[in-house]
Amino acid sequence: MSGQPFNKENIGRRSFLLRAGLVTAGIFFSGCLRRIGGRKSEYEHIQGNLRGPNAKAGHMLRDKMPLPLSSRQENVKTLIIGGGISGLSAARWLKKNGETDFKLIELEDHTGGNAYFGSNAVSKYPLGAHYITLINNEDQQLIDFLHETQVITHFDEQGLPFYNEYYLVFDPEERLLINGHWQSGVVPDFGVPDTERKQIERFFKLVTQYQNTKGSDGKYAFNIPIDESSADEQYRQLDNLSFTKFLHNHGFDSSYLLWYLDYCCKDDYGRHAKDVSAWAGMHYFCSRRGKAVNAEPNSAITWPEGNGWLMKQLRSTVSDHILTSHMACDIRLQSDGVEVKVYDHSTNNTYTCKAEQVILASPQFVNQKILNGIDRLGVDYSKMNYSPWLIANITVNNLPTSEKGMVLCWDNVAYGQPSVGYVNANQQDIKLIEEKKVITYYLPLCDKEPRLSRLAAYTRTYDQWLDIVIPEMEQMHPGITPHIDHIDLWLWGHGMIGPATGYVWGETRKQAKQPVGDRLYFAHTDLSGISLFEEAFHQGINAAQHIIDKKHAS
Amino acid sequence: MEILVGLVGGTSSTILFMVFENISSFRIVLYGLISFTGILVGLEIPLLMRILKDRFEFKELVSKIFTFDYIGALIASLVFPLLLIPYLGLIKTAYLFGMLNVLVALVACIMFKDEVKGVKYLKSAAIITLLGLLAGFIYSERITSLSESLTYSDPIIFSESTPYQRIIITKKGRDLRLFLNGNLQFSSVDEYRYHEALIHPVLQALPNAKHILVMGGGDGLAVREILKYPQIETVTLVDLDKEMTRLFRSNDMLVRLNKRSLLSPKVTVINADAFSWARAQQRTFDAIIIDFPDPSNYSVGKLYTNTFYGVVKHLLSPDGIMVVQSTSPFVAPKSYWTVDRTLQSVGFHTVPYHDYVPSFGEWGYIMAMRQSVYHVPDHYVAGLKFMSKPCLEQMLFFPKDMARIPAQVNRLDNQILVKYFEDEWSTVQ
Ligand SMILES: Cc1cc2nc3c(=O)[nH]c(=O)nc-3n(C[C@H](O)[C@H](O)[C@H](O)COP(=O)(O)OP(=O)(O)OC[C@H]3O[C@@H](n4cnc5c(N)ncnc54)[C@H](O)[C@@H]3O)c2cc1C
Repeated sequence: MSGQPFNKENIGRRSFLLRAGLVTAGIFFSGCLRRIGGRKSEYEHIQGNLRGPNAKAGHMLRDKMPLPLSSRQENVKTLIIGGGISGLSAARWLKKNGETDFKLIELEDHTGGNAYFGSNAVSKYPLGAHYITLINNEDQQLIDFLHETQVITHFDEQGLPFYNEYYLVFDPEERLLINGHWQSGVVPDFGVPDTERKQIERFFKLVTQYQNTKGSDGKYAFNIPIDESSADEQYRQLDNLSFTKFLHNHGFDSSYLLWYLDYCCKDDYGRHAKDVSAWAGMHYFCSRRGKAVNAEPNSAITWPEGNGWLMKQLRSTVSDHILTSHMACDIRLQSDGVEVKVYDHSTNNTYTCKAEQVILASPQFVNQKILNGIDRLGVDYSKMNYSPWLIANITVNNLPTSEKGMVLCWDNVAYGQPSVGYVNANQQDIKLIEEKKVITYYLPLCDKEPRLSRLAAYTRTYDQWLDIVIPEMEQMHPGITPHIDHIDLWLWGHGMIGPATGYVWGETRKQAKQPVGDRLYFAHTDLSGISLFEEAFHQGINAAQHIIDKKHAS
Repeated sequence: MEILVGLVGGTSSTILFMVFENISSFRIVLYGLISFTGILVGLEIPLLMRILKDRFEFKELVSKIFTFDYIGALIASLVFPLLLIPYLGLIKTAYLFGMLNVLVALVACIMFKDEVKGVKYLKSAAIITLLGLLAGFIYSERITSLSESLTYSDPIIFSESTPYQRIIITKKGRDLRLFLNGNLQFSSVDEYRYHEALIHPVLQALPNAKHILVMGGGDGLAVREILKYPQIETVTLVDLDKEMTRLFRSNDMLVRLNKRSLLSPKVTVINADAFSWARAQQRTFDAIIIDFPDPSNYSVGKLYTNTFYGVVKHLLSPDGIMVVQSTSPFVAPKSYWTVDRTLQSVGFHTVPYHDYVPSFGEWGYIMAMRQSVYHVPDHYVAGLKFMSKPCLEQMLFFPKDMARIPAQVNRLDNQILVKYFEDEWSTVQ
C-alpha cells in the first residue's frame, strides 16, 4: 500500500484496525454509559432521528451479498447509473439532443444524491449541497440552463445576466462569532490586530492576482469547470503541495487568516487545509469571476431546499426516464454491449439490463465494486477519499436575539469551532416574521483520516450526536436548547471527494475520466476532484455528448 | 455582609432595567453594581475563613471554601440559563437569588449567634431585607411596567405584546400616542398633518379613483382620510397584526380618533404578510398607500426593495398613483433618496414631497406613478386641517439641506437602506 494521501506517516493496516477499534470501542462504551445515565434531561423535549443514504444498499455493494436470481432481461440503448446532479444532467442532455431511448436508475427511493433535501411543517431544508455562486459568464451551457429555469431572468444589451431576485441570497448574508461578538462577514475582522489584518489583505491581493491570470494556453489559471484551467506547469505544480505548506511558503502565519482558510477548506471540501492541495485551496478563491447586472461578484444563489431546487429542475425534463430504488450491482462488458444486473429494492427483484452503452454517474468507490472484470488502467482507487459529514436540521421556535453585533444571517459561523456553522433555511422567505425556523448545521468529520472518521461516525447514536451538536449551538446562542423543537440528523458516510495533494492533476483522475471501450462513460464530481454543482453539471453533459457524437459519427 | 449582597444583587436588575434608557449612565451603574457585588463577595471569603478557622484546619478550610465556591458557581451557571431565566425571567431570578443570600445570612445569624456581635440587630435587618425582596419578587411584573412607564414620558393607558410587536398607547391630556416596539407611530395632536399629507396629494389627483389599497396603517387613520371621498367604493387594508386592527376597531378612544374607519362597510381588513399577499394578487387598485414602519431591520427592509415595488407595480392600475412613507429627508437624507431611487429603478416616475409633523420632525413621502407628470390639484375635499394647494406646492420644494443626493437601489440581496437608516438615525438619538 502506498500510504494514505492524508497522512504523512504510513499507517499500516494493522495500526489502522487498532486505532479504528479503539475509537469505536470508546464511542460504544460512552454510549453504554449514556444509556445508563439516561438522556440529558435538558434534551428530553427534542425530537428527531438519525438518517442517511440507504444503508442496506451500501452493505450489499460492499460485501457483495448474493442477489436474487435475475428474473428478466430489459434492453435500453443508454443506461445512466446514478440520479445525482451528474446523472440527471447527462439525462437532460441526451433528451435535449433528441435521444429518447435511455433510462436512469438510482438506488435511493429519490433522486438528488448529495443535493437531496428534506422538509417538515416549518420549511424545506438542504441535507447536503445548498448553494451555487454567480456563474462564470463564458459557461454558456450552464447559463442556458439557468435561463431556462428563470434563475437568470434576462440579459442586458452587453449580454450580462440579471439573476432572479428571489434566488440571490437575501441580505444579511454572513456573520462570524469572534471574540465574543457577531461581526458581519466571515473574514475575521473584529478584534484582529493590525499586523494580521495586513496579512489577510495580502492574501486577498494574491487571490485577485491569480483570479485574473491566464496561462500560456490562453486559459485561466483556475477555472470552473476545472478541466478548463490552464495546463501550465507553474500552476499545476501547486497540486503537489499541501495548502498549508503553500501558505507557509508565502509567509502567511496569522492565526486568524489560517483559521479562515482552514474553515474554507472544511466548508468546500470537508477537509482541513493540510489535507487538500494548494491548487485546490486556491481554486476555491480564484476560479469565480461571474458577473451580473444586479448582484455583486461572488454572490450566492440559494433556495430553502438548497441545490435540491436545481436538482428538481434538471429532473423535471426527464422524469419519465427515471427508475428509483433501482441499484446497479454488477456490470460486465460484452462484445455487443454492456450487461448490468439491477436490483430493485422495492420489489426485492433482480433483472438484467442490456445496454449499448452505460453512463456511470455513480461515485468511483461504488464503481470499483460493481465493475466486474473491467480494468481501468492507472486508476488507484485508494487515492480517492470521500469526506464524511453530519448535517443537523434544527427546528427552533425562537432564536435568542440578545447577542451582540450582527443579527441572524444566511450563513452563521463561529470562530474556532469544529463545525462550519449553520445556514438559515428560511433566508429566502419573503415573510417578515416566522415564528419557527429551520437552521441547517454542517459538521465536516475531518479530524481523523476519512476512513476512521466514517467508522466512528457510524458508531454514534442519535443522542451522542446531540452531545456534539447542541453544545456548539449553545456556544453560539446561549440558552437556545429549550427553544429547539426538532433535530433531524443526516450522516453522509461518503460525502464529497477531498482534493488531496496530487489528486486533481494526478494520474488517477486522468485515467478514471477515460471511457472504457466506447461502452462505459463516467460522470461524477469525484472525477473533477472538486465537488461543485457546476462540475457535476458538466460531468453529465460531457459523458452524454460522447454518446451523441458517437451516434453522429456512425 | 450577606444581607448586603442580597440587597444589591437582588435589586440590581431592577435598577439596571430602570436606568437602561439613559445609556451613558447605564454603563456606570452596571459596572458599579457588578464591582460592588464582586467586592462584597470577595470580602466574604476571608471573613468566612475567620469565622470557620477554629472549626477546621487552615489548608482544609481554604480548599473547602473554594470547593464550595466553585461547585456553587458551577450549579449556578447551569441552573441560570436552563431553568431560572426561562421560567422566572431576569428580574424575578435576581430577586430570588437576593433572597437566598439573605436567607443564608439569617441562618448564619442563628447558627453562629455566639460568634457574631449584634445578632439581634442583624437578624431584624435580614428579615426586613428579605421582606423587601419578597415584595420585589412578587411585584416584579408591576416593576416591568413601572420601568416601562419611565421610558414613556406620558402615562401608559394600554400595553400589549402581540406575536409581532409590543403595542403601547399613552395619554396625557388630549395627546394620545401610539408606540410600536418603542417607536412613536402617531400623536393625536398632530397626526392629521401626517395622514393628510400621505393621502390627499394622491387622491385629490385621482377624482375617479374607486378602489384603494392600504398596506400597513392598521390604526385606520389613513383610511379615515380616504373615506372623505364619497366616490371611493372599496378600501382594502393589509396589515400584519390582527391585534392592531382589532384594537382600532374596538377601543372607544381609538375608534373615535379614526372615525370608525375600520368599521366602514367599504373597508376590508386583511391580516396578512404584505409581501406574500401582494405576490399572490391579480386585481389592480387605483391608488396604493404604503404606510409601513421605518426600515429599521432586515425584515421590514424587504418591503422597501425594488423587488417589492416591482410586485406592487403590478397591482397599480395604469393611471394609478402610489405613495410611500419614506422616513425623514432631513434626518435621513440618504435613506429617503434611496427609497426614491429604488422606486425609479422599477420604472416609476416619482414625486418626492415632505412636511413638518411636530412630534416626528420633518417627514418625507414619495408618490410613484407610470405617467411622468403630476399636476398639483386645485381643490381639496372639505374638512381638512392642513392640506391645501399652496401647502402642497411648498411641500414639493426641497431646500438645500434636504436636496436630492445620488443614491443606489435597495435590493433584497443588498439592503443598503437598513444600513443607512441605522447610521443616520443613530447619530440623532
Ligand atoms: C455536505 C455536502 C455539502 C455540499 N455543499 C455543496 C454546495 O453548497 N454547493 C455545491 O455546488 N456543491 C456542494 N456539495 C457537492 C455536491 O456533492 C455536488 O454539488 C453534487 O451534488 C454532486 O453530484 P454527483 O452527481 O456528482 O454525485 P452524487 O450526489 O454522489 O450522486 C451519485 C448518485 O448515484 C447514486 N448511486 C450510487 N451508486 C449507485 C448504484 N450502484 N446504482 C444506482 N445508483 C447509484 C447515489 O445514490 C447518488 O444519488 C456538497 C456535498 C456535500 C456532501
